[in-house]
Amino acid sequence: MNKITVHCTVNHKPVSVEIEPNKRLLDMLRVNLGLTSVKEGCSEGECGACTVIYNGEPVTSCCILAGQAEGADIITLEGVSVDGKPDVVQQAFIESGAIQCGFCIPGMILTAEALLMKNPHPTMEQIKEAMSGNLCRCTGYKKIEEAVALAASRM
Amino acid sequence: MSKYAVLNTEFPKVDALERALGTAKYAADYFMPNMLYSGVFRSTVPHAYVKKLNLDKARALPGVAAVLDYTAIPGKNRFGIIVKDEPCLVDDKIRRYGDALAVVAAETQELVDEALELIEVEYEELTPVKSFEEAMAPGAPIVHGQTNVHAKKHLEFGNVDEAWDKCDVIVENTYSTHILSHMFIEPDAGLAYLDEQGVMNVIASTQNPHYDRNEVAAMLGIPMNRVRVKQATTGGGFGGKLDIGVQLHVALLAWHTRRPVKMVRSRTESTMVSSKRHPITMKCRTGATRDGKLVAVDVVMTCDAGAYGSYGPAVIGRAPVHIVGPYECPNVRCDAVFAYTNNPMCGAFRGFGVPQAAVCHEGQMNALAKALNMDPIELRLRNAHKVGTVIPTGQTLTESVGFTDTLLKAREKALEVMPEAMARLKTE
Ligand code: FES
Ligand code: FES
Repeated sequence: MNKITVHCTVNHKPVSVEIEPNKRLLDMLRVNLGLTSVKEGCSEGECGACTVIYNGEPVTSCCILAGQAEGADIITLEGVSVDGKPDVVQQAFIESGAIQCGFCIPGMILTAEALLMKNPHPTMEQIKEAMSGNLCRCTGYKKIEEAVALAASRM
Repeated sequence: MSKYAVLNTEFPKVDALERALGTAKYAADYFMPNMLYSGVFRSTVPHAYVKKLNLDKARALPGVAAVLDYTAIPGKNRFGIIVKDEPCLVDDKIRRYGDALAVVAAETQELVDEALELIEVEYEELTPVKSFEEAMAPGAPIVHGQTNVHAKKHLEFGNVDEAWDKCDVIVENTYSTHILSHMFIEPDAGLAYLDEQGVMNVIASTQNPHYDRNEVAAMLGIPMNRVRVKQATTGGGFGGKLDIGVQLHVALLAWHTRRPVKMVRSRTESTMVSSKRHPITMKCRTGATRDGKLVAVDVVMTCDAGAYGSYGPAVIGRAPVHIVGPYECPNVRCDAVFAYTNNPMCGAFRGFGVPQAAVCHEGQMNALAKALNMDPIELRLRNAHKVGTVIPTGQTLTESVGFTDTLLKAREKALEVMPEAMARLKTE
């Protein structure tokens, strides 16, 4: 299969990736760029584990072909922390006890980051709605919602 | 200040930081140089003999490193957490939809999928056993060995038969719980490689690395000190990753190819073959006095445990001893039978049968409250376990019996947050 070259910005740096045209953005990030914080839970847009921030919006990277990402600005969890230290949202997740197995957490944190970028002071209802596309099998969501509220209160 | 160093004190989870940063490595996050990808060819019928399995075309595909069936297994081909009844790769017959018939390792995941398409199988189908009733019917096809009875338990406490005379009210109901998938958010995954010392290393998403080690060693026919299993950060299990997942298949492929082999199940495959919660039917007769004291409970418990034993023997041990829940009852009997069928395998799932039993004892408490025209919480308080209670196993509870306090607190909270529902409870 002839490869294509995708040029985009990943975690604030320009990259160009040679990749088979049938690969998903998820594969490009995980395999070609080694950004394994991006998780695959369902492969069909249901669970939100593969969420990345894509041109400012949280999107499921399992549902986007790598080629579609030409020119896009993409942020994964690796691009959120500063010098290996947690940012305010990550810190709030840790302090709130919102992390159990952790597999849903990259998607959860990125969805929360995208919300807070647009709306730094969301209501609990807005938090719940923004987080509703991300499934968690461990926590029961309450502490995740509290974590987002805690992060917002520190913004 | 708390008088304890730990209780009532908040601590961050020890490994929360790497999970928040995204640096924690789950099984699918491991990559090795020279690594092969792999997959499993699975049955599409629930009960059958394999008449023909043609692996030649798959083997001939360039880029395929190995296509193996059961004949490639150097050691034992039976595993299972309590009863060794499940094959690594089917040898005698298929017992459920999704049984593993062959494994493939190739240079890319696409090649694995292509090779799996090239495998041809011919079945000689057998009548499938689809329910507990079918399994127990005379002349039923047998799933394993000589009988479809997978496990039996009998619990007897006091004298149930003589107790009915002392009851003012008797309620009789049948409860069934359904089969349930854990749906852990991380599909099963793992990687195996032989190191320079000839040790088989398996990195996996698992809840049971020590058991996995025994199974891998037995399957390869090598001593345990030549197998090392490492639990990767695991994305949820809830009991569903106690049974071995991809570990045997990657180990077998790494053994034959002498290269690292990785396997990641799709959500579909993971849901198809991982264990399930036991669906249990409980036919229950409960008797009590006019003032709401339990006198006797008699239960017949049946279960379609699926194709393999898994944690069934543990579940059938727990469910009957919890059949009256946190309530005192001087006369209890429970007869439980679990049957093998050709349905998905049932195993451990958060509570080993205890949640299923709760559906029965709580249902009966509500039914009894209705029959006695009594507040259902009051009825529970009258029967609640306390220090000194003798439970149906014969054990006397001597300490740490917090049920009454819990119930009172729950009532307080319920009155606060759902007053209308609580008022309805009184009038119903
Ligand atoms: S893996 Fe993309 S939404 Fe589940
Ligand atoms: S923490 Fe396990 S799925 Fe959310």
